[in-house]
Amino acid sequence: MTQQEMLQALQDLIGADKVRTDTDALITFGRDWTKIHEPKPSAIVFPRSTQEVQALVKFANQHQLALVPSGGRTGLSAGAVATQGEIVVAFDYMNKLLEFNPVDRSVTVEAGMITEQLQQIAEEKGLFYPVDFASAGSSQIGGNISTNAGGIKVIRYGMTRDWVTGLRVVTGQGDILELNNRGLLKNNTGYDLRHLFIGAEGTLGLITEATIQLARAPKDLQVLVLGVVGMAEVMQVLHTFQTSLDLTAFEFFSHNALEKVVEHQGLNAPFDTQAPYYALIEFETTQEEQLEEAMRLFEACVEQGWVVDGAMSQSEQQAQNLWRLREDISETISQYTPYKNDISVRVSKVPQFLAEVDQVVSEHYPDFEIVWFGHIGDGNLHLNILKPENLAKEEFFSRCHQVSQWVFAIVSRYQGSVSAEHGVGLIKKDYLHHTRTPEEIAYMKAIKRAFDPHNVLNPGKIFDL
Amino acid sequence: MKVLVAVKRVVDYNVKVRVKADQSDVDLTNVKMAMNPFCEIAVEEAVRLKEKGVATEIVVVSIGPKKSEEQMRTAMALGADRGILIETDEALDSLAVAKLLNKVVADEQPGLVLLGKQSIDTDNNQTGQMLSALAGMSLGTYASEVAIEGEQLNLVREIDGGLQKLQLKLPAVVTVDLRLNEPRYARLPDIMKAKKKPLEVKTPADYGVDTASKVTTLKVEPPAERQAGIKVASVEELVDKLKNEAKVI
Repeated sequence: MTQQEMLQALQDLIGADKVRTDTDALITFGRDWTKIHEPKPSAIVFPRSTQEVQALVKFANQHQLALVPSGGRTGLSAGAVATQGEIVVAFDYMNKLLEFNPVDRSVTVEAGMITEQLQQIAEEKGLFYPVDFASAGSSQIGGNISTNAGGIKVIRYGMTRDWVTGLRVVTGQGDILELNNRGLLKNNTGYDLRHLFIGAEGTLGLITEATIQLARAPKDLQVLVLGVVGMAEVMQVLHTFQTSLDLTAFEFFSHNALEKVVEHQGLNAPFDTQAPYYALIEFETTQEEQLEEAMRLFEACVEQGWVVDGAMSQSEQQAQNLWRLREDISETISQYTPYKNDISVRVSKVPQFLAEVDQVVSEHYPDFEIVWFGHIGDGNLHLNILKPENLAKEEFFSRCHQVSQWVFAIVSRYQGSVSAEHGVGLIKKDYLHHTRTPEEIAYMKAIKRAFDPHNVLNPGKIFDL
Repeated sequence: MKVLVAVKRVVDYNVKVRVKADQSDVDLTNVKMAMNPFCEIAVEEAVRLKEKGVATEIVVVSIGPKKSEEQMRTAMALGADRGILIETDEALDSLAVAKLLNKVVADEQPGLVLLGKQSIDTDNNQTGQMLSALAGMSLGTYASEVAIEGEQLNLVREIDGGLQKLQLKLPAVVTVDLRLNEPRYARLPDIMKAKKKPLEVKTPADYGVDTASKVTTLKVEPPAERQAGIKVASVEELVDKLKNEAKVI
């Protein structure tokens, strides 16, 4: 089949105006936020219904073509990039709200709905969609589900997986499946296939619709930022606050991260006292007592010598500004060409793990500056190494590649994950074995073959068959 | 020099305000409240004057419901030394507030009174001006720079089309604008200390001020909803629509 014939066939399937091959579209839809690989899709298609998606998958099976699903393309692991002439299936036109059920407290939406729009719909209904992260204004719910997106509220609300009660998918074979009957809360009837598609990065099927559970909106979120004397103490603070408060977030960042954010974003530091690490704690205050309790816990932490200072938001604006100290780090350090890693270990192991990584990097590359931040409440660390100004980019990344080997060896030893919330895609697939055993990977491949025998869906992502 | 700062408890700036079903007012049940942002700036300026050694004592005053204590404690955590709450559940007119503040000024004899230029709930922008007239003090509004030299207050104020520099004689009433300073965060140790600072609770009756409102609210309505935009195919069509539909050119 020639390229021309293929394009004609695609146009016949879903309409001439839903197929794009202009350079702009090929570049935009051919890559995600990684921007490492050169995007080379052969066409971008914009289906409008599950039936059209099914037609595309069947067409791909007939002609041995590869499809790459594309949501908001905000991924950081190159899960949604097309580098080898694939057809990109973009869900931008499948963004409708299909149903809101106030009794079930659920919404059913098409996969292309922007995450923030889902959050807004929930808010309008007096409810709350609790999965939130910096890219929520661009990412799509289908992509969130395919990558099991996490973010800043995982400690209280879990990952995307915990909020998906039903899915409609087109499998790699072209079958349409309604998984978990559109949102049953209890359904013990054999394998729950829904969970296979969550976090599968589009390798088993294409998600076209999802039923999402909504939560009660939290009331009066208070934000504290504490200056903490060391990493072990950060965990002590976490432990202390968790004993009597329901935290909605517990984040940490290092002093150099704070310095850079304050300088580049023109923000106020929380207080003048310097500390090596800072903890950002968010909790709900339904009653006055919770505020009193937070004060008491702060005092206890100061008495123990873990905490040197702290500030508390006095308004929603201040809460947002304190959050920016953490959320703006990624954007702020991007100008230093950072080498990024998204890793996790069990919460209790974080201090030792972090110390080991720090040591191995500073021992081999004493001139590398390390910026740590992350969702420490759930054991998720973002390790960022900043490129020294006088070092060429290629040289820096080749040394970082070496650093990765060391870091992942430590991750292995701690039974951690080489990708806590960013997925595997192309970028982490060489390191998958650090977190998954050969047996596990073999089972994953068997599952892949069962749903997608001709390997038409996102081939080469997560692993090679 | 003693500095008096007035603060008001208002709906949090980030809250999307809704109108009550009976259109009598905006709905304040279970809505997050905070210190009026302009008052925060006034408090911050007072604290900075104290840090510079210009102010010797900061007295924070608020007029409103009992819960206004929360915002006064915030002011005390930031650096105010003591507070006076004039407790009332009524929504007072600017003039009533100015009369009450005038009584406090008479009692306290501050060298400087700092207020926000307006509160974000009613947006009247009247209280500071009325207070200066009642108290016979000099007035500087919309301050974006405040400097005190002896008995003289040098002020930069934001006006339409630029900045105006004023010299005022103390004692003075100054209302502050957004760019005067960036308020700091309340430190937890200071929040705890603030709980022990003296807070005097009074009522409007204690000052013999008649606070009966002369204004009646007839109806509260949300602003008209914005209509969805449309895409036009050509410049000609755009011009035509601007001319004949929107009638703006």
